[in-house]
Amino acid sequence: MKTLLRNRKALVGLAIIATIAILAIAAPLLTEYNPATRTGRPHQAPSMDHILGTTRIGQDVFARVLYGARTSLMVGFGAGLLITLVGTVLGIVAGYRGGKTDEVISFFTNMVLVVPNLPLLLVLAAFIGQASPVVIALILGATSWAWGARVTRAETLSVKQKDFVKSAEMMGERQWRIMAFEIFPNVISIVGINFIGSVIFAIITQATLEFLGLGDPRAISWGNMLFAAQKASALSVGAWWEILTPCFALAFLGIGMSLLNFAVDEIANPRLRTGNRLGRWSLLVRNGEGRL
Amino acid sequence: MAFLFRRLAFYLAAFLAAATINFFLPRLMPGDPIQLMFSSAGAELPPESLEALKLTFGFVDGPLWQQYLTYLGSIFTGDLGRSIKYFPLPVTSVLGHALIWTLVLMGTATVISFVLGTWLGVMAAWKRGSRFDVIVSVTSIFATSVPAVVTSLIVLFVFGFTLDWFPNGYAADPSLDPAFSLQYIASVAYHGVLPMVTLCTVLIGGFTVTMRNNMINLLGEDYIVMARAKGLSDRRVMLWYAARNALLPTVSSLAIAIGTILGGSLVTEVVFNYPGLGNVLYQAILARDYPVIQGQLLIMTATMLVANFIVDVSYVLLDPRLKAA
Repeated sequence: MKTLLRNRKALVGLAIIATIAILAIAAPLLTEYNPATRTGRPHQAPSMDHILGTTRIGQDVFARVLYGARTSLMVGFGAGLLITLVGTVLGIVAGYRGGKTDEVISFFTNMVLVVPNLPLLLVLAAFIGQASPVVIALILGATSWAWGARVTRAETLSVKQKDFVKSAEMMGERQWRIMAFEIFPNVISIVGINFIGSVIFAIITQATLEFLGLGDPRAISWGNMLFAAQKASALSVGAWWEILTPCFALAFLGIGMSLLNFAVDEIANPRLRTGNRLGRWSLLVRNGEGRL
Repeated sequence: MAFLFRRLAFYLAAFLAAATINFFLPRLMPGDPIQLMFSSAGAELPPESLEALKLTFGFVDGPLWQQYLTYLGSIFTGDLGRSIKYFPLPVTSVLGHALIWTLVLMGTATVISFVLGTWLGVMAAWKRGSRFDVIVSVTSIFATSVPAVVTSLIVLFVFGFTLDWFPNGYAADPSLDPAFSLQYIASVAYHGVLPMVTLCTVLIGGFTVTMRNNMINLLGEDYIVMARAKGLSDRRVMLWYAARNALLPTVSSLAIAIGTILGGSLVTEVVFNYPGLGNVLYQAILARDYPVIQGQLLIMTATMLVANFIVDVSYVLLDPRLKAA
């Protein structure tokens, strides 16, 4: 955690996410409007009354983007947790147990990896019909764990060879204990990277599914805002605020999460670091010419 | 060769899995799935389309395994049923026409961003820590972290509506007849600029970052030091010793990325009203045209598996160790 806070990318990323979270929590204090109801005339440009204008049916855009942040964050972190949980358990079990267990799990993992994700989600969501944010989080968790399982398995395979695992086996520890207390803490950096990546994926995918019209239109979320705006041809009629507001919200959150992602990546793999003293030193040594 | 055959068998199994999901999903719906699908599609539908819908999902008289075999039989003979929205039209012809546009758009964008992204990654890794590296890395992070929906809407707003440099929709001027003429091709290219720019923006960062990270990991290897010690030129070491080997993992990540590229292109097409799979699918979702929605999964899975197989073949060509195995 300390190393995380010393990384500039991580700090900026965390600050962005914290800002969005605070805005989402404080939504009732920041706006007096109800995000779900009509509060003004349709498609009004930003003004003192409606800071970010109104939608085609007269809802306040600012209120909707604030309350929508709650949905995006909750689906993102909820689905991210689920994806990581499934991927980590399957990865560690496959990697540690080996043999038939590994063969079966790996086969399924590879299969899920080659079936394109978004088309599969589209079919699932279409049959479930008007998927609420919770349902979207659940189907994301059920279909998107494969990448995490694969990388966790690879990492487990190398940790398994270490002496402390061998000694735990000699002492007759039970398998689940070895997996939970010897292996898991040593693959935690991979699990962390997997978690952040999954959260980003979940936020983007939820917005995409809703934009394509598969979400529950009553839910207040950024994806639904985009869907409504697209359906109302907001750009053609000049109501840019209705489209650009959720766009920038999504972009902002995406950038924050990605900065964090790259920072964790750099910390887990020190060779990728640039700018700090170690990086420069190793570059000097490697180039052998002292160019920096 | 054995390696490629194993992959082929695996892809067949994966396709079977996608087909099986398609078969069981409607059967998990509560109540009578056919009636449900039929009524949610709304509008006035000819009664023949109900029969066609039943056939599409293999609802024939007989036990489940017989229905399953009938369903698989029709899928593997290339019959995906009939669309509800465009009723007598078969799903394959609705999707097949759109697939060509998607492949043209996606293929061009993938090639451009793969070449450009890889080259940027090599340069950034080689000049690690320089201003060039910082600019390239930070821009890549930003570009990859913005969802494709957002990128395409912003590109459309800026270049399509505000500056009005490029058309806001369609793949070609609607007044032109599709023909192999210079005028038509020029119109297609002109209409393709904005979707292409969007897709490249979404894709390029991923290739750059993967290539940069692979390169940096390799630059510490002994054989790079050895190549330098032999007094080879910078260019030779960079391209023939480091980049060549760093390309291997990039190619395999390309295989996984194809799914993401498909997804990105779906969304981009909807925003730019491009007549590809994405747009057809969007219309199908709005009309709850289930046969088309499930057909796209099969067609896209097949596309992805073929693309993966091409990557496998190129992998064998790039890595001589696999030929011996």
